[in-house]
Amino acid sequence: MLNKYTCLEKLAALRKEEVVVTCMGSAKPWEKLSDTALDFASVDSAMGHAADFALGLAIAKPDRRIITINGDGSMLMCLGTFVTLAQRPCENYTMIIIENGTYEVTGNQKLPGVGKMDFEAIARGSGIENVVTVETEEEFEEHLPWVFTETGPAVFIWKVEPGDEGVPSFEMSIADRAARLKKALAK
Amino acid sequence: MLSASKIIDALKDQGVTHVVGLADNLCRVLFLELQEEASMEVVHVSREGEAYAIASGLYLGGKKPVVLIQNTGLLESGDAYRGTSWRMEIPQVMLIAYRGFNSLDPEVDRKDSVAEFTEPTLKAWNIPYKVMLGDDDIPMIERAFKIAENTSKPAAVLIAETTS
Repeated sequence: MLNKYTCLEKLAALRKEEVVVTCMGSAKPWEKLSDTALDFASVDSAMGHAADFALGLAIAKPDRRIITINGDGSMLMCLGTFVTLAQRPCENYTMIIIENGTYEVTGNQKLPGVGKMDFEAIARGSGIENVVTVETEEEFEEHLPWVFTETGPAVFIWKVEPGDEGVPSFEMSIADRAARLKKALAK
Repeated sequence: MLSASKIIDALKDQGVTHVVGLADNLCRVLFLELQEEASMEVVHVSREGEAYAIASGLYLGGKKPVVLIQNTGLLESGDAYRGTSWRMEIPQVMLIAYRGFNSLDPEVDRKDSVAEFTEPTLKAWNIPYKVMLGDDDIPMIERAFKIAENTSKPAAVLIAETTS
């Protein structure tokens, strides 16, 4: 099992001009690592739709890599997104699923299907070819650079230990975060 | 009947770049003609809630999308609408196929319940809307764009007749 915080630190260290869309259990840890106009926390938003939002960005901005850091609970809420991603493929789209098996921000309640459900199989069965499940430090180090270079839609599933994030909140409203991102992308 | 080509012309006049949605009976011909329209891309979603989120991303990336879904999908996608288009203050125009509109006639005994829910839901969600019944109503699309742009909030046009 990986440690989410260590994984995010290593991701942030390699990140340059990519847009990073976070949600739920990744939003606050990522804010501590990076809070630029190209970071968008999908918080106070609609659970399950950060990955869809990122797809819209990827279609609009084909020359910029869009990385969305999704939670497993969020992914489970909108599995059809895998099919949508496959039928409208964007080479610049990367999805990371942080799989800890729980609804972390509401107290680590167990997700439905834990131990039986296989995101990689669902993604592949939806028509996405570039899918990797990462469980060990060695696998993580090997595959981390691919997050930035793999032909999208690319899906990386990070199997991590449950964390202890609470419900995320941000001082800046989501409307202001959206306006900030729009302005940055217009440059 | 509503002319699909005239609806597309109205969308072109507004500079629409993407139509994000899910096909239905009323808009069958509209979707078919949109597929042939070079100036716009149709992005097909698996479930209607995705449409608002994708359209929000498109808008922030500098594009001008519309959402095109059936009223059943409108009901399904409430939280996605609230959490993306509405919360992010996106001037999102949505075209909503009004299944069951004709069943609302007082003379019709058997109502389509989705039609009964549609306008009360739009009112409850503070979405300004107009109902298109024929080609003379197609300028409602332009008005919806003006409302959305002036308020930085979504606005809707309901497609109450079959497109042809």
